[in-house]
Amino acid sequence: MLRVLQRCARLVVAAIVFFATPRLVTAQQQPPQQDAGGYKAPTAALERGRAVYVLNHCHFCHGTDLTQATMGAANLVESAMVGFDQDGRSIGPLVRAGLPNLQTAMPSYRDLTPEEIVDLARYIHFLRQQAKYKQLVVTSAQAVGDAQAGLTYFNGSGNCAACHSPAGDLAGISRKYDAATLRSRLLRPGPDMPVEGAAVASGQAAHLRLLENYTRANVDNLLAYLQTLMPDR
Amino acid sequence: MLYTRREMARLLAGVPLSLAMTRQAGRETPGLTSVNGVVFGVETFSFHDLPPSGDPKLIPTIISNLRALGIAECEIMSGHIEPFPSVMTGWWVQSRRAPDFQRLREEARKWRLTVPMQYYRDIRRQFEDAGLRIYFYNLNFNETFTDEERDRTFEAANELGAEGLSSSTVLTEARRLVPFVDRHKMFVAMHNHNNLADPDQFATPQSFETALAMSKLFYVTLDIGHFTAGNNDAVTFIQRHHDRIKNIHVRDRKRDNGPNRPFGQGDTPIREVLRLIRDNKYAIRAYLEYEYGSFRSSLEEVKTCFEYCKGALA
Repeated sequence: MLRVLQRCARLVVAAIVFFATPRLVTAQQQPPQQDAGGYKAPTAALERGRAVYVLNHCHFCHGTDLTQATMGAANLVESAMVGFDQDGRSIGPLVRAGLPNLQTAMPSYRDLTPEEIVDLARYIHFLRQQAKYKQLVVTSAQAVGDAQAGLTYFNGSGNCAACHSPAGDLAGISRKYDAATLRSRLLRPGPDMPVEGAAVASGQAAHLRLLENYTRANVDNLLAYLQTLMPDR
Repeated sequence: MLYTRREMARLLAGVPLSLAMTRQAGRETPGLTSVNGVVFGVETFSFHDLPPSGDPKLIPTIISNLRALGIAECEIMSGHIEPFPSVMTGWWVQSRRAPDFQRLREEARKWRLTVPMQYYRDIRRQFEDAGLRIYFYNLNFNETFTDEERDRTFEAANELGAEGLSSSTVLTEARRLVPFVDRHKMFVAMHNHNNLADPDQFATPQSFETALAMSKLFYVTLDIGHFTAGNNDAVTFIQRHHDRIKNIHVRDRKRDNGPNRPFGQGDTPIREVLRLIRDNKYAIRAYLEYEYGSFRSSLEEVKTCFEYCKGALA
C-alpha cells in the first residue's frame, strides 16, 4: 500500500512539474506584443499615437522604431525639427502639408485632427527617446570627454544649472555611481518606459527632451565634467 | 521518406493555387490569373514584412505569398533579387548624400558586373517550379549607372524570364536607355510618382508622352494611385494611351498629394479603371500594390486588395 501511495505521489509531482514548468517558462519569456506596426506601446495614450503612426503608413518610410528610414525619408531620430518639436507644434504643420516636391512625395495628412497630431507627435518622441538612449548608452572606446566643454554645456545650452548644482546634488556624483550607471542616469534618470497612470515629473520631462537632442560629444563631455565634481569636505 | 525538391516545395507551400494555373508533365507551367478578362499580378513591394535583401528565405516567402494569394505573376523589385538594399543603387537622391554611399554603390556595381547569370536562372526556376513567373523586373535606373551595368540589368531581366523592365526613373535617364532597349530588344515601362515640381520626373501625362516618343520599346507602368494624388485623370490617360501601357499599379490615394488609403476609401478610380480594361479588352495587366497602413500582415492586406478588385469586376 505504501509503495502504491509513493508511486502515486511521484506521479502527482511529475505531473505538476510537467504541466507547471512550461507555463512558468512562458510567463517569464513572454515577448512584447508585436504586429505589423511594431511593438505595442506601454500606455494607452502612446498606443493611440501608434495607431495614427501605423494607420497612416508612416512606418513604411520612417521605420516602425524610427531607426530604419527607407525610400529617401528623413531619419526622425536625427531630425532637428523633431528634436525641436513640442506636442506636434512643428511636426503637425509638416505632416498636414506633406512634402509634395520630394523625389517620392511625402503625402499630405490634412485630415488628421489636432488630437491625433498630438498623439502622433508624442509617439514619435517616445520612439526617438528609446532610439537615442540605445544609441548613446553604449560607450565609445575612443571617446574621451572634454570636461571644460562639459562645463560650458552644463551652464549653457544644456541648461543643467537651472536644476542642478555642482556643489550640491551633484557633488561627488562620480563616487556614488559607476561610470556605466552614471551614463545611463544622465541619459534617462526616470523609468525605462512610461508607466500607465504615472505622471512624468517636470525634471524627468526636461531630461527626456535633452535625451532627444544630445550628441555623443555632449554626453561624453558632461560625464567628463561630472567626474571632476568632488564632495565638499 | 525522401522528397524531391518539387514535392517538398508543394508540401511547404501547402496552399492550393487557384484560378487559371496549369500543370504539364511534372513541371507547373506559369499560368495567368485572370478575373473577368483582367490579368492580375503583384508588385512585390507590397510585401513589406519580407526577410531582408539577400536572406535565403526571401524568394521562397514571395513564392509562398503568391501561391497563398492565387496570383501567378509578379513584378519583382531589384531589392528582392539583389543581395543588398536598393538604397545602395542610387535611386533616392537623398541616399546619395550618405557618407559611405560611394563605397556601397561601388560594391553594388561590382556585384552586378560579376554575378554569374546562373544566379538569376536559379531564381527563375524557383518561380517556374511553383507555377509562377516574374513578368517584370522592377529596377530603378539612374545616373549612377555605368553602361556596363545597364547592359547587365537587361541580361538579368532576360534570365529571370521577365518580358521587360519596369522602372521608376527620370526622363534624362530614359534618353540614355534608348540604345539599350534597342540592343536587348526588351521594353522598359516607366513608372510614375507624383512629384509635379520636377519636370524630369514621371508624374504627368506630358512626362510619359515625352518618353513614349523616344522609343517604341518604351511603355508605361501607370501607378493610378500616384497619378490621382498628382490630380491627373487615370481613366482619360488609359483611354488615350492603352496600347503603350503594360500594367497599372493598383493602389488608392487621395487627390492633392493625399495619403494611401484602403481600397475604396481614396479618390483613385479603381473600379472605373478595372472595368475600362475589362470592357475594352485592353492588354493592360493590373498589379496590386499595398501601401496603406495596417496592423495586419502584408499578405492579409494584399488578399483584401485582391478581393476588392474581384468585387469591382464581378
